[in-house]
Amino acid sequence: MSNVIAVIVLAVIIGAAVGYIVRSRKKGAKCIGCPAGDSCSMKNIKALEHSLEQSKHECGCQSGK
Amino acid sequence: MRIAFAGNPNSGKTTMYNALTGKSEHVGNWAGVTIGKKESPIKKEFSGGASEELIAVDLPGAYSMSPFTPEESITSGFVRNENPDAIINIVDATNLSRSLFFTTQLLELGIPVVVALNKSDVNEKQGTKIDVKLLEEKLGCPVIETVSTSSRGLREVMEKTAALKGKGQKAPYMQADIDMTDKNAVDAEDRKRFAFVNSIVNDVETRKILTKDTTKQDKVDRILTNKVAGIIIFAAVMWAVFWISQSKIGPLIADWLVGWIETFQGWVAGLLENSSPFLQALLADGIVGGVGAVVGFLPLVMVMYFLIALLEDCGYMARVSVVMDPIFKRVGLSGKSIIPFIITTGCGIPGIMASRTIRDERERRATAMLATFMPCGAKIPVIALFAAVFFGGASWVSFVAYFAGIALIFLGALLIKQITGHKYRKSFFIMELPEYKIPSLKRAAFSMLGRAKAYIVKAATIILVCNAVVQIMQSFNWQLQLVEEGMEDTSILATIATPFAVLLIPLGFGVWQMAAAAITGFIAKENVVGTLAVVYGLSAFIDTDELALTGGAGEVATTFGLTSAAALACLMFNLYTPPCFAAIGAMNSELGSKKWLWGGIGLQLATGYTVAFLVYQVGTIITTGSLGSGFLPGLIAVLAMAAIVVMVTIRSNRKLAAEYGAIHSKGGVTA
Amino acid sequence: MNLKEAAIGETYIIKEIRTDDEDLEAFLFRLGCYSGEPITVISHLKGGCVVSIKDGRYNIDNGIAEAVLI
Repeated sequence: MSNVIAVIVLAVIIGAAVGYIVRSRKKGAKCIGCPAGDSCSMKNIKALEHSLEQSKHECGCQSGK
Repeated sequence: MRIAFAGNPNSGKTTMYNALTGKSEHVGNWAGVTIGKKESPIKKEFSGGASEELIAVDLPGAYSMSPFTPEESITSGFVRNENPDAIINIVDATNLSRSLFFTTQLLELGIPVVVALNKSDVNEKQGTKIDVKLLEEKLGCPVIETVSTSSRGLREVMEKTAALKGKGQKAPYMQADIDMTDKNAVDAEDRKRFAFVNSIVNDVETRKILTKDTTKQDKVDRILTNKVAGIIIFAAVMWAVFWISQSKIGPLIADWLVGWIETFQGWVAGLLENSSPFLQALLADGIVGGVGAVVGFLPLVMVMYFLIALLEDCGYMARVSVVMDPIFKRVGLSGKSIIPFIITTGCGIPGIMASRTIRDERERRATAMLATFMPCGAKIPVIALFAAVFFGGASWVSFVAYFAGIALIFLGALLIKQITGHKYRKSFFIMELPEYKIPSLKRAAFSMLGRAKAYIVKAATIILVCNAVVQIMQSFNWQLQLVEEGMEDTSILATIATPFAVLLIPLGFGVWQMAAAAITGFIAKENVVGTLAVVYGLSAFIDTDELALTGGAGEVATTFGLTSAAALACLMFNLYTPPCFAAIGAMNSELGSKKWLWGGIGLQLATGYTVAFLVYQVGTIITTGSLGSGFLPGLIAVLAMAAIVVMVTIRSNRKLAAEYGAIHSKGGVTA
Repeated sequence: MNLKEAAIGETYIIKEIRTDDEDLEAFLFRLGCYSGEPITVISHLKGGCVVSIKDGRYNIDNGIAEAVLI
């Protein structure tokens, strides 16, 4: 009996942990639990690269090259 | 309605954003803390009576609409291309003459602008008066005095902003229609704009203290940025941080916490008395014990985060980077590299990301590669564990861990400089020195709580799952039978980890348990603590006083079977090998080249191995008078790594010399 | 002369920014550091100096200090 309870408790704990990880991954978080998760620059890396490209472009025409 | 927060660096944009949205984004009293765009809805109490939801967009600081750094281009790109409904221009009221340049450019965009005249309290203290009415008139937009650290004036700012939706304003200064590709014309135009700004400032501002006068702050600066005193003070400050967090207040709270965790573990074990031994071990030792061991170190980590937040807030960090600049330059880094390194003490990922503020590509890459030699927050439990078990909780262990990290950064930078062979590049360094201020305890507490929550969530998810897996792997052998007592070496975990352990023999800790801990450490560094707790069936690492009473720390040390030289080597190895996978991912995106990424990982592996080898072998000679185990194979491995480095250096230097020669001869032909 | 030789506490007028790095020149400009503007050296350090430009304090290294002619 006590084995059955222990197995259930184990399943709940590990299930909850894995569930939490999977859910936050789906939301796009890179690091689980990180308070900066939503706005982490790792997530917005595409946008940053884009603006990097743009800055090169703009600098180029500003300095008259 | 989307509202963009734009303004000069260190004008207090993120502080205002945090106050309005209730978020706890990273703030600090220096220029360039925010490097990415952040968005969040504004709290109802500040919504200024608007019916629709207001969304705040926090942007990195910028001096003008023509970007100079990648972060600045995020700002100019956003306000220009993404049509925010309004802009709140945060203006540093203590530096009106510089800030309004950007303001006049924002006013030209046709998007409604509200100027928040921030840091008004500093002005009041210095006796500087600004005629807000007149400034409003001159700029043609609402101007409100604010203090974002105490939320003063924020409600008013939001009311005005909400009311302006859909409207625009007449720009007080319109750029003449000039050829933007003509540098001289652009230059002349910008001069006119500055002249216009100067005329406004002359009219609205009366100053009691002129900025060019030497103040008390300058006297403090002179000491803090002195080349000798500055470094000594920095070392003393860091020492104090470690001493307080890891030897004084931290352990005090930790002792109490660990007591509770142990009681809980005992209670769980009691409940499972009649269950199978495997389930008992998995729940009580694997999950509760493993996670408990990691959580037990939480107080140390929290106190340290709190102290670092205070340091960031008071304005000292900018001075540290000034002291470090000449040293960093000599090894081929930039003075700005200090910022990524300091952020890394919290977490390596934002640290690596922060290297983006460095302009020169090679300096930026070197910084991103070397940043994680600074021990991050996840490594604090590892350091504290070794300090408590093998060195009686001495604070010199943390101090050595951090300063060895700094030394490795210097050596690594020199090495990269050798390999890439750039010697003639001129690099420039300019850093704004912000006003000192008394750090806010409330903000430091918030920052600490946010990070503590992250720590607990991580422990309860990733660390928990890893510990469970480790426990299962060490309980079964390959025939999927429970491992019998005394036969631990036949478990799945042991057989997988043993080949790696062989490689670690020259480092003094060639046992499969240590190898397993190092491997799980790549998932998250806290795992080193969790795994050691699980494989040795221990959890109370921190409780040194209690351990000493029961025959304690020594006993735990005996269980590990390591000498103190080997223990220090093991700690160093875990600290300076490549960081966790997430940080390697950050390195990948920041380095932007597979060649540099693998070079970086290789460098980190070689460094960790070499440092551990030297610490163990030299330490063993000193303590016992003879060489440690596996000296010869270890020496061969280290020499082989050195040979590879030398080879790569010679090859790249030859290539560089060839390129240089080619340019030279080409120049000769045209001349 | 350039900023490295400037006396502490005295206000000078910038004559010229002499550098072949256009980005640097543009950056200094936006801080208010361009010809015709006042600049004050607050202190000299080993690797550079602390200056006051407009209402801000900056630390600049010797590379920049040599480029600012006064």
